[in-house]
Amino acid sequence: MVLKSNTRRLGYLLGPTTLFLGIFFLGPLAVMFVYSFLEPGLYGGVEWNFYHWNYGRILGWADSEWEAFDPVYAEIFLRSVRIALTNVAITLVLCYPAALWVSGLSPRRQTLIVFLITLPFFVSMVVRLFAWVLILRPSGFLNSSLIGLGLISEPIDIIFTETAVLIGMAYILLPFMFLPIYASVEKLDRVLIDASSDLGGSPRQTFLRVTLPLTLPGIAAGSMLVFIPSLGNFIVPDILGGAKVLMIGNLVEQQFLSARNWPFGSALSVMIMIVMFLLILIYLRRVGRAGQNG
Amino acid sequence: MKRSWPNRLLGLHGGLFLLFIYAPIVMVVVYSFNSNPVNMMIWSDFTFDWYWSIFGYPTKLNEQTLYVESTPQLLAAVKNSLIVAVSTTTFSTILGTMTAIALYRYRFRARAMYQGLLYMPMVMPDIVLGIALLIFFVNSGVALGRISIIIGHSTFLISYVFVVVSARLAGMDDALEQASADLGANPWVTFRRITLPLIMPGVIGGALLAFIISMDDLVITYFISGVGSTTLPVFIYGMLRRGVKPEINAIATIMLTLSFIIASLGLYLRRRH
Repeated sequence: MVLKSNTRRLGYLLGPTTLFLGIFFLGPLAVMFVYSFLEPGLYGGVEWNFYHWNYGRILGWADSEWEAFDPVYAEIFLRSVRIALTNVAITLVLCYPAALWVSGLSPRRQTLIVFLITLPFFVSMVVRLFAWVLILRPSGFLNSSLIGLGLISEPIDIIFTETAVLIGMAYILLPFMFLPIYASVEKLDRVLIDASSDLGGSPRQTFLRVTLPLTLPGIAAGSMLVFIPSLGNFIVPDILGGAKVLMIGNLVEQQFLSARNWPFGSALSVMIMIVMFLLILIYLRRVGRAGQNG
Repeated sequence: MKRSWPNRLLGLHGGLFLLFIYAPIVMVVVYSFNSNPVNMMIWSDFTFDWYWSIFGYPTKLNEQTLYVESTPQLLAAVKNSLIVAVSTTTFSTILGTMTAIALYRYRFRARAMYQGLLYMPMVMPDIVLGIALLIFFVNSGVALGRISIIIGHSTFLISYVFVVVSARLAGMDDALEQASADLGANPWVTFRRITLPLIMPGVIGGALLAFIISMDDLVITYFISGVGSTTLPVFIYGMLRRGVKPEINAIATIMLTLSFIIASLGLYLRRRH
């Protein structure tokens, strides 16, 4: 039977990956989910009791005995969402005009510039952030230049502020916004733009009525690809934000590596995951369907 | 394109955009040759000393900003990174390619769901996957070390290879495979003589991508590397946390150069075929 041997071959081909991802990807996520409902033990371990206070501590109900609800967790969560959203806005403002610019160049130049824009993406994140430490710290490049030019007399504090975190995050995640937007701008049918201006549309009208709506899928994809890694990021706030700009990722890291409250850390992490899934769901509902119809 | 006002502004923005991307990187490279040990940002003289000093050779500048004791650790981290990256790349390239072929060739129920499963590791935030793996390894008795890092990296790199190889397969001409089968070649011969050579650029591209991502991974490795199996990015992150030293410039420059070479090679291969 052809079908039977085909099924078997499919099994051989997919078996190893299925097994591997089942055990080492889905497995750990499931264990983490279970952990988020366990009681933290005294010395970093866990007690195998059902314990929903881990979520209560974050969301507003508390254990009367020893876990207190602290609004600071919700605050940190909201701050992380705000920083991630701001980062989406920053990268969008930087990348959209850049994508328009690249798409207007000759094909050979386009290839070169896209190559140049993606290249630093392959450089280690720590190295790229280190560059910004050199620029932003008090004795860094920015302050030295400004003092050298006589514009300021005292170094300004940029590092260890939210501004520094935003600069670092935008820098790290730029290609994730640029590439999807460029892909949709490049696909854009120039005839439509010409038609719009021939029919008397001003450049502004043409942009708002034709270009923007047609490149919306790219904007949506880029926004999602930037938002998700921004939300859980703890390296950027750690290096450029110091102790002042605490994000949800820092909180998770602390629970695992210093506070040793793994169930609470898992609960925080599950919440990051829920936000991510909700976003992907909305994205697939809206853009996925629109993409199929158009 | 017309040289209108909006277009000039766009061009200006494009130039600034590239400047924003490259200026910090260029600065790291330039200042790695600066001999000023007191303020790294004030240029005094051209020197190779930081490069000598990271490899443990005593230099004149090195006496003042001692970092010699880190050299064995640094070299161990490089070794760990290479072992992990090579193992992960081999493993995930084989599995990713097999998966891509399976999903290209066969239509089966839950195929869309399976694809969804393959995309999940790529969108999962690093920190979530990192701590999930940490809890899993600690509970299942897998010692944290190179093995756990290799497993951890593979969970998401299989997906990257899958995506790159799938793209290659999508552009392939089925007629050649059919001709091979019609001429009496068995499936294995067809695969080795026809399919594999055709998708090879995709496989190599996927492997290079996997290698680079594995070499550069910080967050997941940070959680699941035990004592003594620190990789290069984790090592540099630790150094940065202790304070900024001129030696980091030199290490960063070497890493930059290597990443650029590998990435250029990968992108060049993809473009050519």
